[in-house]
Amino acid sequence: MSKVMDGYLYTEEHEWLLVEGNSATIGITDFAQSSLGDIVFVELPEEGEELEAGNSFGVVESIKSVSDLYTPISGKVLEKNSTVEETPENLNEDPYGGWLVKIELADKDQLNSLMDAQAYTEFCESL
Amino acid sequence: MSNLKKTSLHQKHLELKAKMVDFGGWEMPIQYKNLKEEVVAVRENAGVFDVSHMGEFYITGKDALNFINYAVTNDIKAANNGKAVYSPLCDSNGKIIDDLIVYKISEQEIFVCVNAANIEKDFQALESIKAKFDCELKNLSSDYSLLALQGPKSFELLKSIIDEVQDIEYYSIQLLETIKDQKSFIARTGYTGEDGFEIFGSHEFIANLWGKLIAAGVEPCGLGSRDVLRLEVCFPLYGNELNQDITPLDAGLKWTVKMNKEDFVGKSALESYAAKYQLVKLSLDKGIPRAGYEVENEKGESIGIITSGTQSVVLKKGIALARVDKNLYQDSEKLNINIRGKLYPAEINKKPFVTGGHK
Repeated sequence: MSKVMDGYLYTEEHEWLLVEGNSATIGITDFAQSSLGDIVFVELPEEGEELEAGNSFGVVESIKSVSDLYTPISGKVLEKNSTVEETPENLNEDPYGGWLVKIELADKDQLNSLMDAQAYTEFCESL
Repeated sequence: MSNLKKTSLHQKHLELKAKMVDFGGWEMPIQYKNLKEEVVAVRENAGVFDVSHMGEFYITGKDALNFINYAVTNDIKAANNGKAVYSPLCDSNGKIIDDLIVYKISEQEIFVCVNAANIEKDFQALESIKAKFDCELKNLSSDYSLLALQGPKSFELLKSIIDEVQDIEYYSIQLLETIKDQKSFIARTGYTGEDGFEIFGSHEFIANLWGKLIAAGVEPCGLGSRDVLRLEVCFPLYGNELNQDITPLDAGLKWTVKMNKEDFVGKSALESYAAKYQLVKLSLDKGIPRAGYEVENEKGESIGIITSGTQSVVLKKGIALARVDKNLYQDSEKLNINIRGKLYPAEINKKPFVTGGHK
């Protein structure tokens, strides 16, 4: 059973979002890190880049696979987690601590389509 | 995955909670608990792979040796009885139908192990040239299961389970006399660069052996770690480095084409062939190369593609084999790999990334 955090929002691509004021932090869930296996490479966008909802903003690679990261929300990248680029294996250890990017929310309505912890737990169980 | 073929160990893989995937029509374990641990187990200790999906052909009769020596590019006559020989199987144009291992039990009795995806194609190719030889060719693929026990502890482990096992040389075979249900043999071969054995036998014998190896603490390993292990030591994979559009001379396999031996399929084509491609070993400090990525020279021209790439478990960096245009490559000073539109400088390696410990 993979770990799901209360108070976070979730996508069907197994990313989590933590919303604080006008910004959101994005990471990958415990379910995601567990299905990827050993994470060995992370590529993130630069600060200041404008992301568009539904588009890929980076990749997470395990030894055998490449997975795109998708943002469910539009907005400017305020900060990226350079530490996770240097030590990607930390995502396996602590997927909720190893955030990827902070985004300035361009349209708060985009959050409405995301799942809460309970809905995401049910979603994972249905897979 | 219900319409996929299953090996005799399928249920055991499920019990070990392996992640199963469709691998060329077979439902096979890609990994058990952890791919990295599987790689490390093989490099330092021992791991066992179910490779029963691979094909076995059996050639017997007066002309068995003449037949196989005509079919493949390497020289089986030059090998002693009891030896295993790696060889491409080519068509009349010298293009690679498959790569395989010939096990020469005697001049009248020869086993061949072929890639699972190529069983039918290989069998047809062999059938089509058999008429002038006095021998029998059988496809025994559905009668045999196959394990690969790999790693420095392989010999002592196998010996502790099958007492008659001898400390045979690398690329040698030993028939198992105490296994009576079906002709069974071991070969000191493998696809990891480490010391180890491949064990051919009946489904029942192999299932039994698998159980004993797992009980002895041998790490069950999937096709994922197998691919990393073979790529670390730069062994080619059919479908990636090798295919029927190229010849062995385009893929670093010149050493397996014996132009001095008597006539063989593809000989005349290969005699007049100048290689177009070259296989190169590339590593990256940052970024992970993957099959299909373009390799560029310093002018930004594409000179070829990555055929296999991964993160090396041993080196902890990206490693790859790439098929490049031979002439463009020889004129290149620096190579870059295009990863999602960004260029990453590649280091050209002359030797395999990892030196296995095989004997």
